[in-house]
Amino acid sequence: MITYDKIQLKNGLTVIANRDRASRMAAVNLLYKVGARNESPTRTGLAHLFEHLMFRGTHQVPDFDTPVQMACGENNAFTNNDYTDFYITLPTANIETALWLESDRMTGLNLSAEAIEIEKRVVVEEFRQRYLNQPYGDQNMLLRDMVYTTHPYRWATIGLTPEHIEQATAEEIRDFYQRFYHPSNAILSVSADIEAQEVFELAEKWFGNIEDKPYAIPAIAPEPAQTAARRKEVERDVPATTITIAFQMGERLSRDFFLGDMTSDLLAGGDSARLYERLIKRKRLFASTNAYISGDLDRGMFVFTGQLLPSTSEADAEAAIWEEIADLQAGNISEYEIEKVKNKFEANTLFGELNVMNKAMNMGYYEMIGDLPLINREVEIYRSLSAADVADFSSRIFRPENASTLIYRAAK
Amino acid sequence: MRQPPLTIPTTITVPEAVKHTASNGTPIYAIDCPEYEVVRVSFVFHAGTITQHHPFTASATANMLAEGSLNMTSQQIAERLDYYGSYFDINIDRDYSYITFCALSKFFPQTAEVIEEVILRPTFPDAEVATYRDKRRQQLSIERRKVETIARENFAHAIFGASHPYGISYSEDEYSSLSRENIMEHYQRCYTADNCIVVCSGAINDNVLQRIKSIAEQIHTSQKCDAMSLPPFDTKHNVRIQHDGALQSSIRMGRLLFARTHEDFVPMQVLATALGGYFGSRLMQNLRERNGFTYGVFSAMVNFQHTGYLAIATQVGAEVTDEALRQIAYEIERLREEKIPEQELLLVKNIMAGEMMRILDGPFGIADVTTENILCGFDNHQIEENLQRIRQTTPDELLSLAQRYLTEEDMVTVVAGDFSQLS
Repeated sequence: MITYDKIQLKNGLTVIANRDRASRMAAVNLLYKVGARNESPTRTGLAHLFEHLMFRGTHQVPDFDTPVQMACGENNAFTNNDYTDFYITLPTANIETALWLESDRMTGLNLSAEAIEIEKRVVVEEFRQRYLNQPYGDQNMLLRDMVYTTHPYRWATIGLTPEHIEQATAEEIRDFYQRFYHPSNAILSVSADIEAQEVFELAEKWFGNIEDKPYAIPAIAPEPAQTAARRKEVERDVPATTITIAFQMGERLSRDFFLGDMTSDLLAGGDSARLYERLIKRKRLFASTNAYISGDLDRGMFVFTGQLLPSTSEADAEAAIWEEIADLQAGNISEYEIEKVKNKFEANTLFGELNVMNKAMNMGYYEMIGDLPLINREVEIYRSLSAADVADFSSRIFRPENASTLIYRAAK
Repeated sequence: MRQPPLTIPTTITVPEAVKHTASNGTPIYAIDCPEYEVVRVSFVFHAGTITQHHPFTASATANMLAEGSLNMTSQQIAERLDYYGSYFDINIDRDYSYITFCALSKFFPQTAEVIEEVILRPTFPDAEVATYRDKRRQQLSIERRKVETIARENFAHAIFGASHPYGISYSEDEYSSLSRENIMEHYQRCYTADNCIVVCSGAINDNVLQRIKSIAEQIHTSQKCDAMSLPPFDTKHNVRIQHDGALQSSIRMGRLLFARTHEDFVPMQVLATALGGYFGSRLMQNLRERNGFTYGVFSAMVNFQHTGYLAIATQVGAEVTDEALRQIAYEIERLREEKIPEQELLLVKNIMAGEMMRILDGPFGIADVTTENILCGFDNHQIEENLQRIRQTTPDELLSLAQRYLTEEDMVTVVAGDFSQLS
């Protein structure tokens, strides 16, 4: 259970505070509601490139990291399809340093041609290191491109190609800053041993004077429901073939999200889960397996994936995944198994609440999805789901015509 | 708006670990943090890879402890842990293996039954060994397609010698000869009370402590297995490994130094941090921020039981490999020739203090630091001492350390990449 208070400043900034009496550290999280979803198909990777630029300093504070580090703090950020998140942890006494820096870079960022050039090169190296120069590095990109035809989830956060990053212009980057980096598009969340009232006063002090420049973010057309099976086979220089089957599923706030999450836990949550127990240990078809949901705001993906052992044929491996699906659809799910998944979810929720950083980050996330109280209601929602619900979900979602199958074949 | 004033913490208070001893001599260190409703318990054995008699045995033993016991199958063990939301982690390095269990306090009694099976009564069934062999062999062959893996393994060969216990690596084909007997032999020799410490944290009340003690005192006794003598090191200074088609080269540089117990270890940590231990470090400024050669570059002191070394690691665009090596050498040279400015050193010290505070904020981090201290023969007063030692470091001292230890002729450089792209 995370207790919190929330206010909105006059300029639209949402502020959420959690008091943690045990910690001597403060966590300050600033989430901007912008991600790869807000990019144009001809300029992908911009949200992530911009996250990097947020560290290039402002006219007032030319170097962002040094003041954080001088305050014994640590900071970082990440971008995904839906949002961009910046976080700082530091000794509680220095919390104002974090607020000062975050408020400063909400307006005065240095977007000089030189800063942009260097950061583009860093991001292109990141593209190469993590996606191109890595066995299986492009697998997820190929998959997204099959599951989505029109929605921006079609591309990964890093972008479709390094050329999009290289070609981004200074003007596009400045426009991006204008549109998405302002108070009413941001959520500030704090977890520390500080009274909520004091957090709100500090937020007013550091952010209250920032002028809001609202921008109507264009609506994103929903991805059309899939009606026919999709299939792609590629060959790469990797030691083992992997098979991935992805299905479109409901959005983050639908009931299907929880059912999908629970189904993925049944299949792949821990060493006693179905795929590991049956496909790796009992049938010895795969070296590794996984089932997960993408968990995005809009229609998401439910993904089955497995890496074949050298002795396994592709046909047998694919059939084995469909057998597991059929078993779920037939409702062969015991109460015990369901109870186990629920207990595990509850325990993981509690383990996640041990640390101020997780709490601050989660508060920002739940506010972003539009349902902050859900942060304390998810365990209860899980508790309310039954084996029959999972079987029904599996029948509705795991249909051949809703499947995208990717064979990522090891070159001989 | 103006920069707010700073408060720099001058001390870090950490609860002292209370030492208990089981009847068979196993030391148990307890850090009670009653405000958290969780229990974490780690069993640390002197059973790292230097203690093995057959390739891959040490990691196989640690990783397979939960793959079947006298009274439970691997599936039952996994089921029980998952059912109560408990989990365990296995870690192994050259010297030690670490087996750590986490449970909600309310489910600790049920979890303890499984811990008992895993630690005391593993059987390493043949069928599980066969699955493990196939899986690991495949994982390793994938890992070895990455330039960073190739560089890491070859750096260990170069620093210590390709057949030295601290440097050696084995072909994945060696997995085919790994047997249940090898693993059982390793378990019986190394997983003993004489080679073990137990560290627990979270809500450690009397009941929990007694339960942990009842497990620890059943660990069998034998001789210590660390009495082996390490052969001399056989260092090579320049190694290049061709990996066709690599878009990036992986670079490892460093030199052999000393273990954490050496008086210069902490000031060398300060020096390593200044060089490449944080986001704005000299190497990051140079290679990433000024030149855009890399996504990241790091340096740190690495500690083993009997020695330690300085390591620098990065991955750079293939075409800029040689220029990146020159820039790294240049930054090292600068440490040897110029004093670090006071303001930069202050920054490094605050970063290190902040990092210690973050790790020590919460019961699990305190347990990890406690474990590390005990293995080095220290107690938790060492945390305060290290903090003071960091604070006392001066630009003069670091200059003389750099001149003494960062000598060009002692540096080891390993690069894995596609050198056909360089002309």
